[in-house]
Amino acid sequence: MTPLITVDRLTKDYRLTQRREGVLGGLVDLVRPRKRVLRAVDAVSFTIAAGEMVGYIGANGAGKSTTIKMLTGILTPTAGEVRVGGLIPYRQRQSYTRHVGVVFGQRTQLWWDLAVVESLRLLQKIYEVPEADYRQRLDFFNELLGLQEFLHQPVRKLSLGQRMRCDLAAALLHAPRLLFLDEPTIGLDVVAKENVRAFLREARDQLNVTVILTTHDLRDIEQLCRRVIIIDHGKVLYDGLLADLRRGPGHRLRLCVDLAEPVPGQQLAALTADLPVNWDGDGTRPEVPTHRHCATFSRAETNAAVILARVLAAHRVRDMALNEPAIEDVVRRIYRDGLILPVKETAVE
Amino acid sequence: MTSVAPAPYLTAGAPRSRLARARRQIGIIGAYFAQFLKMRMAYRADFLVDLAANLFAIGIQLATLSVLFSKVPSLRGWSFEQVLFIYGFSLLPLGLFNLISVNLYGFASHYIADGHLDRVLLRPVNPLAQVLCESFNISGLNEMILGCGIMIWAGLALGLRPVVLDMVLLLVLVPAAASIYTAVFLSLAAVSFWHEDRLGLAPPVYNVIRFARYPLTIYGYGVRLILTFVLPFAWVAYMPSLWYIGGAELRRWALATPLVALLVAALAYGVWRAGLRRYASTGS
Repeated sequence: MTPLITVDRLTKDYRLTQRREGVLGGLVDLVRPRKRVLRAVDAVSFTIAAGEMVGYIGANGAGKSTTIKMLTGILTPTAGEVRVGGLIPYRQRQSYTRHVGVVFGQRTQLWWDLAVVESLRLLQKIYEVPEADYRQRLDFFNELLGLQEFLHQPVRKLSLGQRMRCDLAAALLHAPRLLFLDEPTIGLDVVAKENVRAFLREARDQLNVTVILTTHDLRDIEQLCRRVIIIDHGKVLYDGLLADLRRGPGHRLRLCVDLAEPVPGQQLAALTADLPVNWDGDGTRPEVPTHRHCATFSRAETNAAVILARVLAAHRVRDMALNEPAIEDVVRRIYRDGLILPVKETAVE
Repeated sequence: MTSVAPAPYLTAGAPRSRLARARRQIGIIGAYFAQFLKMRMAYRADFLVDLAANLFAIGIQLATLSVLFSKVPSLRGWSFEQVLFIYGFSLLPLGLFNLISVNLYGFASHYIADGHLDRVLLRPVNPLAQVLCESFNISGLNEMILGCGIMIWAGLALGLRPVVLDMVLLLVLVPAAASIYTAVFLSLAAVSFWHEDRLGLAPPVYNVIRFARYPLTIYGYGVRLILTFVLPFAWVAYMPSLWYIGGAELRRWALATPLVALLVAALAYGVWRAGLRRYASTGS
């Protein structure tokens, strides 16, 4: 399938002026400013198919927002290219924006002083949405987002959660083919976050919109995206299915056993000496006998069955549990250790 | 029939005639205006306070003028009524400018520093049209109404007998003069794309407008040069007023006003476009 979005070796440099200290330094700055080049996005490539919902994640300053700004046409790249359905966002910005909806969690896309319904009416006019479509979509948004409660209040009087609901409706009013969400759940309470996620799932299915989502809350990703792209220092660290990320070496499982007799940890470690497994007890030293022991290992290197079989052969086991780490931990390990899977050419199934 | 996923191509939109595009833009500006008028009307107290402030400021300036002319019969050959006429005229384009262009004034802090320009760039409407339309200063209407009154009063005192051509020309000269104001402040707004100075040059330049309310010939040579060619405020009141009060020799100068306006506006729009391009490459 032809991808909807093609990003090819996309690169963005910022030129920063470094100020010298003191009055004299200030004068020198005027004459000969000291420039430093910061590469915010470094040869990033990926493709996204129509209808995908992709999580684009990275630490602060990793280059997420810069990429999104180039994808939405606000910023021009230093090198490389973005193509979206045959258009180049930063060259054909005004035509392109008709197909795009954007939600920035940090600031609203609506007019601060206008009532919500007036903002939507103005957007209807700007995007030339036919009246029948407008009504139909407003009904859809009302049903899922409950806008009617505050439709006639000015945006500045809304709570953060209410405002986010309005922003989502505003971004989708013209039925864009593409939706960019930059931290859509930031600052929201648990219930409001859940509502936003439920709406996004529904919107994706009903409006056939392709979604790119950046977030710090990895539960957003877990609940919405099958595919993630992880970016760090401007480069793609991982591009693939979330499920594959779980199977990768960065994904450490934890098998805990509760033994009938207390045993020192070093005995268990000896059982699996040939396997890449780390044993720890309840915070005790390896020579102190305890009931409970946990093995941490990577599914890419060994598996729970092998470890458990060796433990069962030597000891009586009362109980056991296998814990999957949260996606947060997986991503944290990727950041910290740079443990990555080979970046696939295309991760589109 | 099974539903087929739409082909992943986006269209640049059906080609439209210039007229259709213009009609769309004007429709949107109308919609913006209606919304923000409604919003301002909601603060009716503000509206009245604004009106009182305008009346007060203009009253003071009129009083100053009349005190001045009680001491001298004329200023470099200009009578009280003539000076009053220029003053009244100056309020028309100034009011129009204040009405639509308040956003240019705080452009650097609101749109660049606070990042509202990103929102503007994400919409399929000319960015300048959006910036101009996102806020209106209704008190500009007060200035226009008061200016009309002063101009009519001075005109009657001068015994002017306006013909149809004079009225039609007024409808050209006032918007032309207003676009000179707009062009000057647009250039200043555009400078903030290069120079991240929050304060900006707008307030001092705004003060220079005061010079534009009096006959240009009362100033020294340097000031005249500056007001004609550098900050072309000579063309916002004095020059266009000459058509009505200037006599056969001087009045044709007024006809250059629209040309100056076009030139200055084109220059300013060029700077603005260059600024937007720079923003697209720096993001700040």
